[in-house]
Amino acid sequence: MRNLKMTLTALAMGGAMASSAVAENYTIGVSNTVQGNGWREQMICAMRAQALAEGDVSNLIVSHRNTDSAGQLEDLNNLIAAGVDAIVLNPSNPDALNSAIDKAISQGIVVVAVDAGVSAEGAYILSNNQEEYAYLGAKWLFEQLGGSGDIVYMRGIAGVSADTDRDNGFKRALAENPGINVVHEVFTGWQQDQGKQQMFDFLATGIPFDGVWTSGIDNVIVDAFVESGAPLVPIVGADNAGFVQYLTEVDGLNGAAVTNPGSVGGAGVALAVDVLNGNAPADKLVLVDPVLWENATDQGRATIEAAQNPNLDPEWPVSVTVPGWTDYTMEQIIACEGPGA
Amino acid sequence: MTALVSRNAWSLGLIGLLLVLVAMTKIIQPDFGLSGLESLSRAALPFAFATAGMAVVVIVGGIDLSVASMMAVCSVTAAVLMPSLGGVAGVLLVLAIGAAMGAINGALIVLTRVPDIVVTLAMLFVWEGTALLILETPGGGVPGWLRQGIGGYFVIPGLPKALLLIAVIVAVIWIPLRRSKSGLAIYATGSHENAAFRSGVVVGRTRVLAYGICGLFCAFGGLSLVSLTGIGEPVPGPYLLASVAAVVLGGVVLGGGRGGLLGPIIAVFVLRIIRTILTLAGVDPNVTTIVEGTVMVAVVMLATVVTYRRVRV
Repeated sequence: MRNLKMTLTALAMGGAMASSAVAENYTIGVSNTVQGNGWREQMICAMRAQALAEGDVSNLIVSHRNTDSAGQLEDLNNLIAAGVDAIVLNPSNPDALNSAIDKAISQGIVVVAVDAGVSAEGAYILSNNQEEYAYLGAKWLFEQLGGSGDIVYMRGIAGVSADTDRDNGFKRALAENPGINVVHEVFTGWQQDQGKQQMFDFLATGIPFDGVWTSGIDNVIVDAFVESGAPLVPIVGADNAGFVQYLTEVDGLNGAAVTNPGSVGGAGVALAVDVLNGNAPADKLVLVDPVLWENATDQGRATIEAAQNPNLDPEWPVSVTVPGWTDYTMEQIIACEGPGA
Repeated sequence: MTALVSRNAWSLGLIGLLLVLVAMTKIIQPDFGLSGLESLSRAALPFAFATAGMAVVVIVGGIDLSVASMMAVCSVTAAVLMPSLGGVAGVLLVLAIGAAMGAINGALIVLTRVPDIVVTLAMLFVWEGTALLILETPGGGVPGWLRQGIGGYFVIPGLPKALLLIAVIVAVIWIPLRRSKSGLAIYATGSHENAAFRSGVVVGRTRVLAYGICGLFCAFGGLSLVSLTGIGEPVPGPYLLASVAAVVLGGVVLGGGRGGLLGPIIAVFVLRIIRTILTLAGVDPNVTTIVEGTVMVAVVMLATVVTYRRVRV
């Protein structure tokens, strides 16, 4: 009888240990405060697809709506009440959410901020490396011009951290190429119509330039050249579907797209699972390096062709994965389905 | 006793609904307890004040579409002024600014005779622009005591400070007003403007007063936003439609003259806890708003049917 009991206990323990080794059952909460924007929708779908691809996430609770910081606080507190193991959020503001983030961390919940940082201590931050984004594109542009020439520098929004970081990268490339001269520097406000009008103005003034670097307001710059009949110069943009398509279709356009994937959301989920499994990175700040797709070489054109997919939402960035971080397939992110749904 | 019950039937019904929803929350998430109620009360703070303000202008027979923008002005003003001016002076100044903004809305409606919905729609943009002029990007700060003043419990665990704040502030402003001549004038103007005028109610002044009270509540709403987040945000949050929803759900008749503030405040908690339940249950975020809307219309329809039956009997 005693033997039987011991055997049963051993079996039960063995069973428990085996099941815990096979898969954990993590619940991950997601909080996002901008709905209906292509980049953010890709981010959410990447989170769902990555949670599905990770074997040990059994449930993903998504709070995804248009709201302010107070609303995001409410969502974060609700996720904490739901008993999640980790929270992946795109913060509306670096300082406004600390009360909820501190509460989560004090309860042992792993917090990962993607796309932008938070000032709360103990939170992981995973975002695209914006300095490298600007450096990569600017360096390519300056090389195209043979290291000397006049260029137009079209930035984003003054005072926004992504714009400041990109400016640092741009200045670094500029310092390495003393022959390059910036003839126009302007803030587009990341507005399509504003950037296009600014380019019309530059073309109208007649001051010649040899290249354009944009902070993501890109396809309308090509439009401005084509509509005003000006000869195209090399243009650097982001991997927005419209611009990437132009790189393959517009005659005489020499350009490059630098990736700024919304799929960092998926990478954030992957990071959260790594931390939960005890594989925390040494540094709490993780930067994802961008890649550059150019249409000047055959190899570059082949890369662009491969990246395009007619099933992709035209509002999404074309780069749907983050190499080294995400494990899902393109079909999975397009399906946009998470575990437990 | 029966009179008291029948007078507050709508509010009592909502309390019943709220208790059912709290029980549901407990079933879905057995860990849900005092701390859950505490964070629910904090989340309800800005909504409760926006709703109280909206309820007063709806009772007087109007509507104010600029509540969220006025809250934004108050929140950025507080965040900009408090670091230099100090907390107490900052609070008093912001309350005065809020009441003044509301009174301006009311005065414009009374003086120009342009419909309230048009005036306050225009003022929505005016106050929104004002907030952006005061603070272009989120920032500023508030003293620590203001941030701690809304979190945690008051004296006994189980009584969230945020809940107490809502109850005390709304009661201190509303109960004396409602029992005064001005309060009677607000209800009279709301139920029949001409009749009120002929009975000697100064209709114009009453409406300005009601909009001023609305602005004052919006100032409390703006202060609760900065206290929650620690910063001022110039872009208005989702408080306009949420406040109209809570006012309707709370049994205030759109058109004026009937209802109180208790019902709408309970309705705020009902709407907040529905969101909590849907998050706990992991419902698709796009379905969440559909459920919120459906619950609202179902409750109002049911309550209207019940009230109508009782009136006929």
